[in-house]
Amino acid sequence: MRPILMKGHERPLTFLKYNRDGDLLFSCAKDHNPTVWFADNGERLGTYRGHNGAVWCCDVSRDSGRLITGSADQTAKLWNVQTGQQLFTFNFDSPARSVDFAVGDKLAVITTDPFMELPSAIHVKRIANDPAEQTGESVLLIKGPQGRINRAIWGPLNRTIISAGEDAVIRIWDSETGKLLKESDKESGHKKTVTSLAKSADGSHFLTGSLDKSARLWDTRTLTLIKTYVTERPVNAVAMSPLLDHVVLGGGQDASAVTTTDHRAGKFEAKFYDKILQEEIGGVKGHFGPINALAFNPDGKSFSSGGEDGYVRLHHFDPDYFNIKI
Amino acid sequence: MAGSAPEGSQFDARQYDAKMNELLGTDGQDFFTSYDEVCESFDAMGLQENLLRGIYAYGFEKPSAIQQRGIVPFCKGLDVIQQAQSGTGKTATFCSGVLQQLDYSLVECQALVLAPTRELAQQIEKVMRALGDYLGVKVHVCVGGTIVREDQRILSSGVHVVVGTPGRVFDMLCRQSLRPDNIRMFVLDEADEMLSRGFKDQIYDIFQLLPPKIQVGVFSATMPPEALEITRKFMNKPVRILVKRDELTLEGIKQFFVNVDKEDWKLETLCDLYETLAITQSVIFVNTRRKVDWLTDKMRSRDHTVSATHGDMDQNTRDIIMREFRSGSSRVLITTDLLARGIDVQQVSLVINYDLPTQPENYLHRIGRSGRFGRKGVAINFVTGDDERMLFDIQKFYNVQIEELPANVADLI
Repeated sequence: MRPILMKGHERPLTFLKYNRDGDLLFSCAKDHNPTVWFADNGERLGTYRGHNGAVWCCDVSRDSGRLITGSADQTAKLWNVQTGQQLFTFNFDSPARSVDFAVGDKLAVITTDPFMELPSAIHVKRIANDPAEQTGESVLLIKGPQGRINRAIWGPLNRTIISAGEDAVIRIWDSETGKLLKESDKESGHKKTVTSLAKSADGSHFLTGSLDKSARLWDTRTLTLIKTYVTERPVNAVAMSPLLDHVVLGGGQDASAVTTTDHRAGKFEAKFYDKILQEEIGGVKGHFGPINALAFNPDGKSFSSGGEDGYVRLHHFDPDYFNIKI
Repeated sequence: MAGSAPEGSQFDARQYDAKMNELLGTDGQDFFTSYDEVCESFDAMGLQENLLRGIYAYGFEKPSAIQQRGIVPFCKGLDVIQQAQSGTGKTATFCSGVLQQLDYSLVECQALVLAPTRELAQQIEKVMRALGDYLGVKVHVCVGGTIVREDQRILSSGVHVVVGTPGRVFDMLCRQSLRPDNIRMFVLDEADEMLSRGFKDQIYDIFQLLPPKIQVGVFSATMPPEALEITRKFMNKPVRILVKRDELTLEGIKQFFVNVDKEDWKLETLCDLYETLAITQSVIFVNTRRKVDWLTDKMRSRDHTVSATHGDMDQNTRDIIMREFRSGSSRVLITTDLLARGIDVQQVSLVINYDLPTQPENYLHRIGRSGRFGRKGVAINFVTGDDERMLFDIQKFYNVQIEELPANVADLI
């Protein structure tokens, strides 16, 4: 497959997200301006201007009408996807890291980083239908564990919130009371920072990527470890195919070490694994910096990767991909 | 180059090491301050809250090696000499150090940062402004090729930091548009270039106009003994962070040579590579401005799209070309060593030395345009029969392996 190279970001990519219909791809980077692209041919549709810092994460509503972005400028913003208009700004006292709309798009979970004496936190905000009625009030505030919470998403039926971050522990919280329901087992779980998290299409299980050079598959309800995928590089991003039992991992050595170590040490390929057998199927080369973001198109026929090199690469699968035998 | 050393001897490792040992040896101990503290997080550095906000907003999460060692001594008002490999975070180090020490209630120039090129000064100003956003820092970039009256107007309305090139800064000081009374920090970026024959007198003239008690910071990826020697004259027991000669090169950059045999055949070789060049962002270095124009004309006459910039072009054109190149609108840039230092364009992954550099340090700086923080790169050297000796000397001096370019060059990028 010959990738489509998407140029437009002037600094490293941080996150990629397709809308539900799979015709739009949203990218976030450290250059302040989330961008939206046509997911079929990689043409740039527009940018969202207003943030004053690196943008770490985004999510798009089911109807593709709203975009929410979390930024290191200590705000999360709501946007009109079509017009690029800023609808609301949630202000925090520290960088906003992860954002996720709940099913139904009436709530959003936003995580904030620790900052000086402030601990990390998980905020639940109500999202109004009418932007004029939007407020910054928190429905729930959970004071966080040690270190950054790199990712937080809604669990089944919006009853729970799943979080993971720098302390390597995955947690399930009650989304009404804020009570901690479950924690991943230290013995079988990740040993280092969890960098990324991806939910399966039906939400029954999710995949986490970690600097411990592995990705792990978890049952969403019981937080039981199902599978482990071992690589030889830190994992910055994970994604799951909605069609096949494949997972893809991306990463590479730490960005600060890239320029001063041998050119073969980068390991920047996106690696595909069989979800069931835990075996590596193949890899996709191309980035010349660590991969920081991965996403599958909901139709399962293409995927995108974003790297420290500032490029988004869009790959449409060859027919052969759908007939891989192991 | 009448009077210069014979070709090839610039890369004399034995001579370099002997001079360096002399400077850093027993005699040198009295000149430098020891400082061994390493801070593994920005929070641990004792920085102002709003500076921390700016650092995190910029997208930094953890300090790089030079930042771990280099930010704190600068913040404490110590003179510093800081060397680190290309693309590893030196600019953010001195920007943080300056921003930490400014008095924001005093809207007078308190810090002066000098860079060898206008493009580099603009880049530093951008980082300084971004990191200092929550502090309300006022930064002015003061470079040649812009309207003098505009500079005078901005300077008289008050700024905290001036980032500039030596010529314009000296002019502003002489005209009293830039008053040195409150300047307490003086930073030289690409310091060995600034202290070289071309700039040294200007730096000296500027330094004479600054207040006697001033903190000095010098930064560069290359710090040859000649430059280090000069720092003795105007620095006060600096904290030093230096890298050994043979650790300077960036292993993350694959380095190749192509034996083109004759000068005339370089153009054919470049055209053969053009398809590959256009896939990503590339910079082609030649040694003279005239040659930039010549090569640009040749490439365009063969229907290859290229951009070009050098010191003789007017500033507006230079700015437009840099903007187009940064955003990816143009992908192949032909230039001189004007852009060898400091310039950080995100998606550059290939550097071609159409001519090998005449200054040894510039080899490192040129190839450092492709391997930047978090990104591997490729450098290709065009070598004629006359260049073989120099290529050998570069490999030996920097302890680097430069292999012959394989046929499948596109796979490398």
